Order: sequence, then C-alpha cells, then structure tokens
Amino acid sequence: MALDEAEAASEWIAAAGATYPMLIDPDHRSADLLGIVNVPSAVWIDEDDCVVRPPVIAPGDDTFREFTKIDAEVHHDQLRAWVREGVLPPDLDAERAGAPVLSDDDRQARAHRRLGAYLHRAGRDEAAARQLAAANRLAAMDWTIRRGTLPMQGLDPFGTPFFDFYQEWEAAGRPGYGAPGSTEAS
Amino acid sequence: MTTQIDAVVIDTAEVTVPAEVDDGRLLVGPDALRRATGWELKPEGLCRGEVCVPVRDRDRLTVGGRVDLAAFAEALHRPLALEAAEGVAVLGEPSAAVGGDPAGRLADLDLLDDAGQPFRWSALGRKKKLLVAWASW
Repeated sequence: MALDEAEAASEWIAAAGATYPMLIDPDHRSADLLGIVNVPSAVWIDEDDCVVRPPVIAPGDDTFREFTKIDAEVHHDQLRAWVREGVLPPDLDAERAGAPVLSDDDRQARAHRRLGAYLHRAGRDEAAARQLAAANRLAAMDWTIRRGTLPMQGLDPFGTPFFDFYQEWEAAGRPGYGAPGSTEAS
Repeated sequence: MTTQIDAVVIDTAEVTVPAEVDDGRLLVGPDALRRATGWELKPEGLCRGEVCVPVRDRDRLTVGGRVDLAAFAEALHRPLALEAAEGVAVLGEPSAAVGGDPAGRLADLDLLDDAGQPFRWSALGRKKKLLVAWASW
C-alpha cells in the first residue's frame, strides 16, 4: 500500500513486478485509520478485516539495518507462523497495549495533510502550502507528514530538510519506531 | 459578506455541494450535509442511520438554517481542515475510528490499484492480509 501520489508510486510498482495486489492510498486513509506514522509499516489483518497486529516497522530485508536497527527476518518468521499455523507472536498483547494512539493534534494534522494534498493536486499551491504547514506544526514526529509532504512542498525527501527532521527525530528517541527484531529499545 | 459557491466536502469521498462562505465559515444546507457526510440534523441531534449525537448548542451549529461545517465537526469530535475561500473542507477521522469500527473491523477503503484505477479494500475478500505501507519518499 503506497502512501503516495499515484504518479510517484507507479515507477516503483512497475519495477517491483509483484504478483500480489499493489495498491495506492494517496489520501492516507489506511494510515489514519490504523495509526501508521512511518514506512515501512506492516499490519496483520484477518479474514474478517479485524486488525490482528497493529502497525510495526517491518523492513523487507536488512539493507538498511544500520539505520533501522531491526533484524528483518524476525517479522518474516512471525508472519509465516501466523499465516501457516495461526500462531501469534508471544508479545502481541503488550504490543497491542503499547500501540500508538493518534492524539487530537495528530488527527487534526492528518486532516490538514489530506486537504493540502488535494489542493496541491489541483494546483492551488498557496492554499496547499498553508495546510501542509499546519500539518507539519502539529505532527512534528510523524514521518508520513514531515517527510511525506516534502515533495508537495517542492523539497527533496532525500535532502537537507529530511536530514534536519531526522536529527530532530533521533534526538527525541526515535518515537513511533516499534518493531519485532529491534536490536535496541525503541 | 456571503458568497455562494460549489464546495468540495471530503469525508470518506469527495462530494461537491452548494455552500455559502460567510465570514470564514463554510455553511451547507441540510440536504447538502446529508449528501456529503451521511449525517442529518434531526430534533434529537445529528443522526446517521440509527446513531444520533446530541447537539448541545444548536444555535451555534446552524446559521440561517444552514450548518456551519466547523461546528458540525466539533459536535462529532472530528478534526476539520478548512479553506473556506477555496470552497474545500476535509473531515478527518474521529478518534474512535482508529483501529477500525466498534467491532474492530477496518473500514472498506477507497484506494487505487497499480494502474491508478479505483479499488475497494473489500475486493481482497476473506483471507488473511498483510498490509505493508511504503512510499517513494
């Protein structure tokens, strides 16, 4: 599920050539409903569309392990056990209890982000900038907003604005980065 | 000064309705409110289906028979992002929606498929699903 504009996601989807559904959520409704604040996040959802496991950071492999500090295989093993045998991870109750709940400010920020994205698509840049700025003020540690809105603001999500945010986020103790296989406390 | 416009109200979908811009407020008639959000103003309060939410200050909710979208959002404890002059508003998710409906189910989302065409979450059917959120940024 790409939390992205369709044009931005399409080249990555084509390159992946996946055999499973590759979906795009430009409105971030899945993120808003599930409380996703960063990528890559994984959510387990059962046959009745009930959330079995709330969002956890789940890299596909260990390419960026130095940054993620996560052993990707731990989540993979847990996922296989759930799919094949219905076995849930031992710490799931604690994980559910500790799952981040979006605050009023977080939810307000997401409404501003959604409106900003709508206005950006419509080419109404001045109003879009107002809304995106409001979102960024309210949700200072939310990657889907702080990094995710950089392209809409004409800024490089891999450039200085991102690294400035990254330093703020690390100084704050990497909030919202809970993961199975984490090699240090999140 | 009041200006008549066609406004876009974005809730679970984007719906265009007639509206008035009045002193920074976006006002919509009862029919427009129902079409855009599914909610209706009744004697018992704001109602959608069998669910009704009492409205403490009805005078604040309505202006000349039209509903102030900001007061509407506040009554339902939902965030509102508004550009009144642009004629567009987003109603964000209520806190109770986090994690799905009261039965714990994820809402049926309107998404796009890999070709940019509309795709509904429910089309995935009854199976275990792994949702992996990723992004180009």
